[in-house]
Amino acid sequence: MKSLIAFSKKEALEWWRSGRLAILVVVFALFGIMNPAFAKLTPWLMESMSESLEKSGIVIKEIRVDALTSWEQFYKNIPIAMMVFILMVSGSFTTEIQKGTFILVLTKGLSRWKVYIAKTFGMLLVWTAAYWICFGITYIYNDFYWDNSVAAHPVLAAAFVYFFGVWLTVMVPVFSAILSNAIAVSIGTGSLVIISYVLGMLPKIKDNVPTFLMGSQSLLVRAGVPEDYYPAIAVTAILVLVSFGLGWVMFDRRRL
Amino acid sequence: MNMLEIENISKRFGDKSVIKDLSLSVPNNCIFGFVGQNGAGKTTTMKMILGLLSVDSGQIYVHGEKVEYGQNRTNQYCGYLPDVPEFYNFMNAKEYLKFCADITEMQPSESKARSEMLLELVGLDKEKHRIGGYSRGMKQRLGIAQALLNQPKLLICDEPTSALDPIGRKEILDILITAKSQTTVLFSTHILSDVDRISDRIALLHGGKVVFSGNKDDLRRRKPAVGFEVELENPGAVDAILRLHTHAKRLDTLRVVFDTATEEQMHQAISLLIQEKIPFRKVEKSEYTLESMFMEVVGK
Repeated sequence: MKSLIAFSKKEALEWWRSGRLAILVVVFALFGIMNPAFAKLTPWLMESMSESLEKSGIVIKEIRVDALTSWEQFYKNIPIAMMVFILMVSGSFTTEIQKGTFILVLTKGLSRWKVYIAKTFGMLLVWTAAYWICFGITYIYNDFYWDNSVAAHPVLAAAFVYFFGVWLTVMVPVFSAILSNAIAVSIGTGSLVIISYVLGMLPKIKDNVPTFLMGSQSLLVRAGVPEDYYPAIAVTAILVLVSFGLGWVMFDRRRL
Repeated sequence: MNMLEIENISKRFGDKSVIKDLSLSVPNNCIFGFVGQNGAGKTTTMKMILGLLSVDSGQIYVHGEKVEYGQNRTNQYCGYLPDVPEFYNFMNAKEYLKFCADITEMQPSESKARSEMLLELVGLDKEKHRIGGYSRGMKQRLGIAQALLNQPKLLICDEPTSALDPIGRKEILDILITAKSQTTVLFSTHILSDVDRISDRIALLHGGKVVFSGNKDDLRRRKPAVGFEVELENPGAVDAILRLHTHAKRLDTLRVVFDTATEEQMHQAISLLIQEKIPFRKVEKSEYTLESMFMEVVGK
């Protein structure tokens, strides 16, 4: 247990001293601020553009913004933030394998599973913190400027998107066990999203694929109920568990 | 019991056979030189001893326990210094040794004492900077410190001196000699003078096979007729000796060499020099170098 804690402490120190943690927190916080800021600026933007729009025949009447406008921005921006996160963590395993820093650690008798656990949970912890910081900032601003009560299930809807991010995060070690560098791991993880989207086009399974969770904002405007997402949650939960187990076994056999 | 036993191991990478039926024994408390040209299979063998690579056939035992690929149980007996040791650049030397002590679950008091002692031994005790700014030699010295931290029974060093300048090489070899009192050292190299200087026993690896294993004297005994060299007083004496000995060869204006001559032939030649009153400065038995022995053993 002491060795697992020691490697986890090293991970935390690396997140801190490499500046990756600071970058991610700043990026996610900025996204969190941008969502209400964009909603707040929308009337002013439209007004400033109204003259030129009028000339082209578009007449702008009253622009109404509320918490839902800001939440809409949140769901538009979060895939970009998720992409930034995956790019930042994709080298977590492969960089150490390429450089050879694992060699000294493992030849000291540290079990591979401890390395796997420390790294994977480290990534999940950072994803959790960064995501909910972004959500929290948007939520607080929305409450301050407007009223969050216009949106139904804001926390639950966000939790569904968060869970999709958990699945992508646990796929990073799986791809790291078979691919050699960070870019390949990012592409591998990205291709999973594409596969899930493509499968989501099939009417029979469209509500069961993980990417279905990315559309959870429909809960806010009461266009859906939480139960609609349960099959996709179940499928994603199974995928998370299988991917986690697969990554464990594959990292154990990875040539270093 | 030997510290390391390698029994008939083989390893292929694709269709390339790197190690062919290799067997080796390393006794306790010796410095064992593992000699071979680049690409002979030294690093592959070491990685198999550490369970970092699988063996296709055969077995490896460290301290009597079988090495299993992917599992690190036998590594509790080993300290390892790779040819290019890589550390976490965001730490300094002290932090890195503390981290190594923690992952091996060493007691804090012991960890502190060992780290301080080893950093002093390798000359990094005053170093406060992060490892990212270290020179190659400093990294190699830190590599030895981390390898010795847990008082391993077997210290495995892969080409520890190959990329260092003469001073750096001497420092590393001196540290290895010091380490011998506490551990068995297996070190690979292609620098024969290093093996000659510090190792008790050697194994010559060529084409994935051990072509010789034993102590240095065993290897030297394989070639009794080493020849000798005579340095004369003047060029005229050189001509005189060449007339008397048709198999002697002129080296330069004052020296002749008798290749592959036995000790008895050397005594006869000295008697003849005295008898014929040929003025000479010295007669020197040729030293048969490890390098020439290596060339001969591998058939080049």
